[in-house]
Amino acid sequence: MIEVERVSKHFGPVKAVDDVSFTIEAGEIVGFLGPNGAGKSTLLKMMSTWLPPTSGAIRIHGYEVTQDPLGVRQSLGYLPEHNALYEGMRVAKFLDFIADVRGLSGAVRRERFSWVVEQCSLEPVLHKWVSECSKGFRQRIGVAAALLHDPSVILLDEPTHGLDPLQVVAFRNFVKKLQAGRAILFSSHILAEVLSISERILVIHHGRLLENARVKDLEKRAVEGKKSVEDVILDVVREKGGAR
Amino acid sequence: MNSSPRSTANASRARGFAGTLAVTRREIGQYFDSKIAYVFTIAFVLLANTIFMNEFFLTGNVDMTGFFEQMPLLLPLFLPALTMRLYAEERKSRTIELLLTLPLRPIQTVLGKVLAALFVFGLFLVGTLPIVVMLLSLGEPDLGQILAAYLGLFLTGAFLIALGTFVSALSSDQIVTFVATSVAAYLLALSGHERVVAVLDGLAPSLAFGSLLRDAFSLTPHLEAFVRGVVSLQSCVYFAGMTTLFLWLTAHVLERHRE
Repeated sequence: MIEVERVSKHFGPVKAVDDVSFTIEAGEIVGFLGPNGAGKSTLLKMMSTWLPPTSGAIRIHGYEVTQDPLGVRQSLGYLPEHNALYEGMRVAKFLDFIADVRGLSGAVRRERFSWVVEQCSLEPVLHKWVSECSKGFRQRIGVAAALLHDPSVILLDEPTHGLDPLQVVAFRNFVKKLQAGRAILFSSHILAEVLSISERILVIHHGRLLENARVKDLEKRAVEGKKSVEDVILDVVREKGGAR
Repeated sequence: MNSSPRSTANASRARGFAGTLAVTRREIGQYFDSKIAYVFTIAFVLLANTIFMNEFFLTGNVDMTGFFEQMPLLLPLFLPALTMRLYAEERKSRTIELLLTLPLRPIQTVLGKVLAALFVFGLFLVGTLPIVVMLLSLGEPDLGQILAAYLGLFLTGAFLIALGTFVSALSSDQIVTFVATSVAAYLLALSGHERVVAVLDGLAPSLAFGSLLRDAFSLTPHLEAFVRGVVSLQSCVYFAGMTTLFLWLTAHVLERHRE
């Protein structure tokens, strides 16, 4: 579903992403872990077709991001890092706009609209202006917009940023229930969050992919080394990433 | 939690013009929700009708020539105000990333926004129709000439809106966008004004720079042809060509200049 093949992204002399490769299959939830500035958002922006890679290839649902960006965008549900929304629209109108652009109509449209409103608990703010909504609601509006067309690939960039602890737990459960038949990649700089949702972790640091491992394997290594999973990951960053 | 009702990828495919119209509807909604459409339509109609009445009472002629000839001075002020926010606001608020990662080609977003601005400009023009009704009740104006002049005005508006949309795609600052578009539009208009042409020609008579600029660059002679009732192929090609050029350039900028 997601194939990232030797992808690099340079901004002038700066290598934001350096020769990264991985694949994600349908039914997988993968956590993308790394500190701020590690290159997570840049890679997700390339996967969403927002930024072109300097080199390498990214295929989403079989569509290559530079060759067939429209195919990618159709298959993709993307929540960008800053989750910018149209402030001057009412929430229902905003979701209607997304549905219009995505060509949803008739019964499918009504069904999908009701589904995202229910799943994201947007009923109380449906007729409010987006600018009047709290951070938590705004994040859920962004998620609803990303899921409205029932995408097979979902990219979530720091999706729990700004949510309160209860909302974070509800969000984790929600993402887990989306898992069937979909490839889900979400980024975070919080290890506990990544561990609680994903089955596999990608660790990125200074633009390089340092680790691509199943959570079970990391836990096994932690038990063997008599350390926490956090320490195992920090060891990886120290050994492969040159961090102190 | 319910299981999700899966729709096929084809069902969610944005189909050709439907995506463009979705952008147009959103933009028209924004023009009215932000009151821009009301404020600028009322201001334009008041100014335009005042200009006409002034001319009408001075000359007493049952025609609109003087009115249409004043439009190159009015449009470079009003149309940049309509276009300044189109992409500059999207860049400033970062919704540009949302818009351009939806299944839309950049040119679809450009056409959608330009159509919305044209709709509001259409309201400007509709607001001047009472002048035509008044002239019809007072005498027998040349309706063919008036119709040609309105067509010329609409084509001029389309060109300036395309230009403004292009400038808006280059910046995230609406004030900069407004000023830059307005200056460019005044240059396009005034470079065809007879006094400007005479002054520029006088600076270097052998080069006839003013005449060269008017013939190759200015929109004024083309609009004046329409105002005289002449719908020439050359003027139609000029407006269509310039509008298409700036629409294409805007799409190109959106494709290349992401962050």
